[in-house]
Amino acid sequence: MIRKWIVMLLMMIGVTLISGCWSKKELTDLALIAAFGIDLDKEGRYVGTLQIVNPSNVAGSQQPGGGGGQGTAVSVLSTTGDNLDEVSRRASTKISRRLYYAHANVIVISEKLAKKEGINSILDAFDRDPEFRNTATLVIARGTKSADICRALTIIDKIPANKIIKTLKTTENRWGENIFTNIQDVMKSLVSDGKEPVITGIQLNGDPRQAKNLENLQVSSPEAILQTNGLGVFKDGKLIDWFNGKRARGVVWILNKIKSTDVNINWREKKDAIAYEVIREKTSVSATMKNGNPRMSIHVRAEGNIGEARAPVNLTDPGVLKKIEKVLKKEIKHEIQDAVQAAQKNKADIFGFGEAVHRSAPDEWKKMKLDWNDKYFPKLKVNVKVEAFVRRTGLRNKPYSSNIGK
Amino acid sequence: MPSFFKNRKEKKDDQDEKNSKKLPQFMGETLAGNLEIIKQRTGNSTDVVIRILNIGFQSEIKAAIVYVEGIVNDESVNDFLIESITNNRALKERMTKQNVLETIAEETIALGNVQTVNKWDELLVSLMSGETIIIIDGTNEAIIAGTKGGEKRSILEPSTELSVRGSRSSFTESIRTNTAMVRRIIKNPNLWLESIKIGKVTKTDVSIMYIKGIANDEIIEEVRKRLTSIDIDSILESGYIEQLIEDQTMTTFPTLYHTERPDMVAGNLLEGRVAIFVDGTPFVLLVPVVFIQFFQSVDDYYVRYDIATAIRFLRIFVFFISLIGPASYVAITTFHQEMIPTLLAIAIAAQREAVPFPALVEALMMEVALEILREAGIRMPRAIGSAVSIVGALVIGQAAVQASIVSPAMVIVVSITAIASFATPSFAIAISARLVRFLFMLAAATIGFYGIILGFIMLIVHLCSLRSFGVPYMSPLAPLIPVNTGDTVVRVPWWTLRQRPRLIGNKNNVREGKGQRPVPPENRGMVNNMIEKGDRDDS
Repeated sequence: MIRKWIVMLLMMIGVTLISGCWSKKELTDLALIAAFGIDLDKEGRYVGTLQIVNPSNVAGSQQPGGGGGQGTAVSVLSTTGDNLDEVSRRASTKISRRLYYAHANVIVISEKLAKKEGINSILDAFDRDPEFRNTATLVIARGTKSADICRALTIIDKIPANKIIKTLKTTENRWGENIFTNIQDVMKSLVSDGKEPVITGIQLNGDPRQAKNLENLQVSSPEAILQTNGLGVFKDGKLIDWFNGKRARGVVWILNKIKSTDVNINWREKKDAIAYEVIREKTSVSATMKNGNPRMSIHVRAEGNIGEARAPVNLTDPGVLKKIEKVLKKEIKHEIQDAVQAAQKNKADIFGFGEAVHRSAPDEWKKMKLDWNDKYFPKLKVNVKVEAFVRRTGLRNKPYSSNIGK
Repeated sequence: MPSFFKNRKEKKDDQDEKNSKKLPQFMGETLAGNLEIIKQRTGNSTDVVIRILNIGFQSEIKAAIVYVEGIVNDESVNDFLIESITNNRALKERMTKQNVLETIAEETIALGNVQTVNKWDELLVSLMSGETIIIIDGTNEAIIAGTKGGEKRSILEPSTELSVRGSRSSFTESIRTNTAMVRRIIKNPNLWLESIKIGKVTKTDVSIMYIKGIANDEIIEEVRKRLTSIDIDSILESGYIEQLIEDQTMTTFPTLYHTERPDMVAGNLLEGRVAIFVDGTPFVLLVPVVFIQFFQSVDDYYVRYDIATAIRFLRIFVFFISLIGPASYVAITTFHQEMIPTLLAIAIAAQREAVPFPALVEALMMEVALEILREAGIRMPRAIGSAVSIVGALVIGQAAVQASIVSPAMVIVVSITAIASFATPSFAIAISARLVRFLFMLAAATIGFYGIILGFIMLIVHLCSLRSFGVPYMSPLAPLIPVNTGDTVVRVPWWTLRQRPRLIGNKNNVREGKGQRPVPPENRGMVNNMIEKGDRDDS
């Protein structure tokens, strides 16, 4: 009896151990990839640039045996291949560790690639790979190769990929000219008939050779710095135009992604005299059919505070606030209309108006959807209605300057 | 299938029987003969005191007082026994050879517990348990006077089950003191006590205590049955009993509760449990127990329910940490690096960069080192105990990290796990968690979190299969008894805790009346009793 049990036990242990340490990967055998850049070389092959984290140079300086803070926080290497999987596997000739993509949070696509070949064909690799996250951020390297973006070292945030993500998030929250798009969002827009993607551009201000030097970080104002710049407008998966400044913000207004921003208005001939900080904003887009033609109406409701008043203005007077609100409405409406017109000129429905039409008139949409971007969208009548409210005026009512010279 | 070992014939332990065969079973008539037998049976042990007295009107009757020095109460032997036998003048006059035994037993001895025996076995057991024997020449019976006593440890604060609030006393080694402490809490004639002697050599006093009418009669009968069927030479601690009467032996989880707190025993008796007292140990056993009981402490019932509930949540959380803390670390660093935030992954990777061992080896090393430290800390003489902690803290906390043998993160994980296992109120469950933790670490190292979850499923199945004196171990959670879940993971207010555990106690399990929730007085205004009618100027 006892022998029977022992044999049973040995068999059970054997069965358990047969699997071994299935897909075990020690942390020290992994190369954590922070960012992945894609370029096209002259023969039209992909050049993948891997930004690999150097853990001991990132974490605090007191690491055992690490000699922390000596080298760069990331090491970057590039390989070429006909597809991204080949790129990734060929990279193993240059690096001693298994590439680990689960922490790759940024994908940089070069402007050239986005314009020439488009992004339709490259996203599949990221979508299919179980390690890769669909929530990784997608950015376009504006004016440079994506390899240069990946190579650039950054201040304050040691890992450049983190800097890109955080900058995007912060600027989306505080300034509102860029949006944070991940692979999933982009793919959704790509497959949707009634929406085209927009992707934030990132550019390298300065010399790329300087940017990858550690000395670049040891000065108070680095020679080269990464900066978000503009929204890339896509059509059929290809980059066709860049929207900058207020026009870009107009897009963000319509996409209902403004969290807070700063709107300047003129006051009594003084230009940009009053700064209005948006603190809450809600945009609703709806479509109606009139005589077989779709019409869009955009309703923006913004609430905010007075952030700055450079002109003498009596903010205690409700009438004055009403006036300010009126000017604000005009200003915001102008931004939005400008963005709509620019998009219509590009024949790219980046706002998702098509989806709104689909929702309100599904039957008509079926007829329109095939040539929505080229035929219907450019001629679309868009009615913009803006409401703006001044909720608070900060710590002061009248600006101190209104007392000067009295 | 042949057995691994040859069947050895069990040697019969017949020493006792031989002795008793040689010696007479009943007492003889002569004093000298009887004393001779006592001397022979006790091997002339030097602590057996035999005092020969001459009593009677003309001191014509010979008698002997026999006791074992040290385990009797000297005061009662001298003042109430010898003194009263020798100096009771009125008695001397009435005493004759025929009625001497009855007279002494019934009229003379100023002690509470007196009885007569004529069997040697009973006599010797009483002698050895601290009673005094009076043998009179010419009678074949002896008087046993209850003079149990001797040196006893005084009642101290509990050393293993501390509480912030509540009684400060703990049990001692003396069974009578222990039962008395419970009696002092539950002053009710229904608190019944049964005693038996277990252990062929040690003859240890074992008592079971329960409240008639609250405890389940079937469980009492089961306890009685299991205790009487124990056939062993010695019982040195209640742990012997625990291991001999538990339901399931192939488990690391305790199916009996041991405690050294009288209020804990009282509380459990009032829930319908049965307590088993063993002489010579301050640990009292409680049956039947359920799993969740090991996360309850007496404080829970003394502090308010919201605080008690929060603390219970914490304890259960802490139990999980002590179970799967290191296992999770191993799983995360070897299988699921994607599950932690990027910066944390980088921080851990940086720490592990110079560590030469795989995560499992690192974790096992640290855990074993911790267990060594802990074990050393218990056994060390107090004078050098601090040396151990210094060496442990320095070597493991600092030097090992600086030498890149373990990573700082591992040290943190191990320390949290260690603290977590100390925070479990019951040592018995904490120590089984310590053991199971290693299995979880191996499972985690084999297939990651998948292994941990498989381990958990197996653990829960195992826990559900356990029983303690017929009561499912996981009740009242599985099987779910909704009315009793108020005192499990949460502790609901006392006024809603109206029923005793249903599976444990008797059928009559309502313990408090309805409407016990305290309410403020109806008049919510300011109460001023000093003002009487007419005092105020109501014009």
